[in-house]
Amino acid sequence: MHRAAHTALCDWPQFVRPAMIRQSLRCTGSLQTSSRAYSVIPPPRDREEEEMMHRMLRVDHAGEYGANRIYAGQMAVLGRSRTGPLIQQMWDQEKKHLAKFNEILAENRVRPTALLPLWNLAGFALGASTALLGKEGAMACTVAVEESISEHYNSQIRALMESDPERYTELLQMIKEFRDDEMDHHDTGLEHDAESLPGYWLLKNAIQLGCKAAIYVSQRV
Amino acid sequence: MAALLRGLRAGRLLRGLPSVVAAPASTNQQCSSLRRSFHCAALRLQDESKSDKSSASSSSSSSSSTTHHEHYQAHSSHQDTEAASQQDPDPNSSDREQDEEYETEEQLQAQILAAALEFVPLHGWSMEAIAAGAESLGLSSASTGMFPNGSGDLVLHFISQCNSKLTEILAEQHNQVQLGQAERKKTADFLRDAVETRLRMCIPYIETWPQALSILLLPHNIPDSLKHLSTMVDDIWYYAGDRSTDMNWYTKRAVLTGLYNTTELVMLQDSSPDFKDTWAFLDNRIQDVVNMATTAKQMQSTGEAVAQGLMGAAVTLKNLTGLNQKR
Repeated sequence: MHRAAHTALCDWPQFVRPAMIRQSLRCTGSLQTSSRAYSVIPPPRDREEEEMMHRMLRVDHAGEYGANRIYAGQMAVLGRSRTGPLIQQMWDQEKKHLAKFNEILAENRVRPTALLPLWNLAGFALGASTALLGKEGAMACTVAVEESISEHYNSQIRALMESDPERYTELLQMIKEFRDDEMDHHDTGLEHDAESLPGYWLLKNAIQLGCKAAIYVSQRV
Repeated sequence: MAALLRGLRAGRLLRGLPSVVAAPASTNQQCSSLRRSFHCAALRLQDESKSDKSSASSSSSSSSSTTHHEHYQAHSSHQDTEAASQQDPDPNSSDREQDEEYETEEQLQAQILAAALEFVPLHGWSMEAIAAGAESLGLSSASTGMFPNGSGDLVLHFISQCNSKLTEILAEQHNQVQLGQAERKKTADFLRDAVETRLRMCIPYIETWPQALSILLLPHNIPDSLKHLSTMVDDIWYYAGDRSTDMNWYTKRAVLTGLYNTTELVMLQDSSPDFKDTWAFLDNRIQDVVNMATTAKQMQSTGEAVAQGLMGAAVTLKNLTGLNQKR
């Protein structure tokens, strides 16, 4: 609880910008739900649902972990440049997402994916190498990754809505919140000249292919 | 708790058999044994005969009866008339006892295997033990036909029973700690006690345990035995307080699996009184693990310090050569 208040206070500067007011309302919402974390996932009805839930949570956790490492890589290269604060801000939000998923995984006894060390290295390498291409490279990487993650969250939302929207209300709310955050990052990346990178389409598609492969594998391992 | 709430909801709705029968279908073991005891009581009270449909629906009405007495009475009287009109009541009460004791083939199999465990010291983990168990329940020894993988089924049944008992004990201890009635144990002590408790359950069958282990290593039994082992290890770590969500999840479980397996093997050829050599071995191995973890942590902090030193040197060099100016 103290930590939640502390992060709220620390994040205050980002709430001042008008564009972020929408985000600030969502942030306070997420701070509230973190104290009720126990009720985000309904108790499983049967083995099949439990399997499905665990697979979803595993891949989401792997995704947030990877995104975290990508931003870490970008910060390592561009941390002291002009885009440093912007990347730090987006990274902090990803850290919040990851913390939330860690909580959910721990209390639902979900096995984390065994490929975490791989995503650790791959994420950091991707972030650092695209950041070496400059600020546009880092933004292009952000756009590509955030688009993949948003697409992934959307398909999960669709699946949950198709099966039983009432049962998964809190989970849906959480995923929608996270998806909105990722879309914000995507838009931020576009605002900051991601498309002006030479070879943008090539890089974007290559990264998205990699993300798709990562999601596929993390669901199974 | 969730199951009781579900029962509450089911009792409140009571729209019809399908919805009510669906609710109890997804309960855990504890609730199903509770349901069965209610079920037996309900049958004795209402003099109904055995059938899957009526027993399922009366058990569902029993579970809702804990919360809605009037619904139970109305529903059960409805059931009474319905069942009585459908089937003849069973005159022999002892037959009804036996009939009540199982509702599915799985429960019957579980009963036969449980009875067979008594004959394991005599016949080993084999079909003969199962046949003897079936006969002791009054069934024909041809019931062994239900177990194509006889000895494997018997060993796996025993193992899952032991694991369930262990989980119950650990959950009970956990509750005690939550309620403040007991001190929280240190991880090393907790692991040692959990492994010792679990291994002690094998002591009655220790003579035939090498045969059991070799049966578990047969290729067609390996997936099941690995699943039981991994679930048990996961349970022990969960109650020990492990909430990790990174590689530690895997390393901790691998370590405990190694610990458990080696201690089990040592127990097989231990002839000291009350297996105290085994427990000493276990203590030493746990101490090794603790030392290794401490060393790993120390190495990590040393590594971090070295990395910081190197970064400091690199930054100094960059400053000296003027590479660090903001562009």
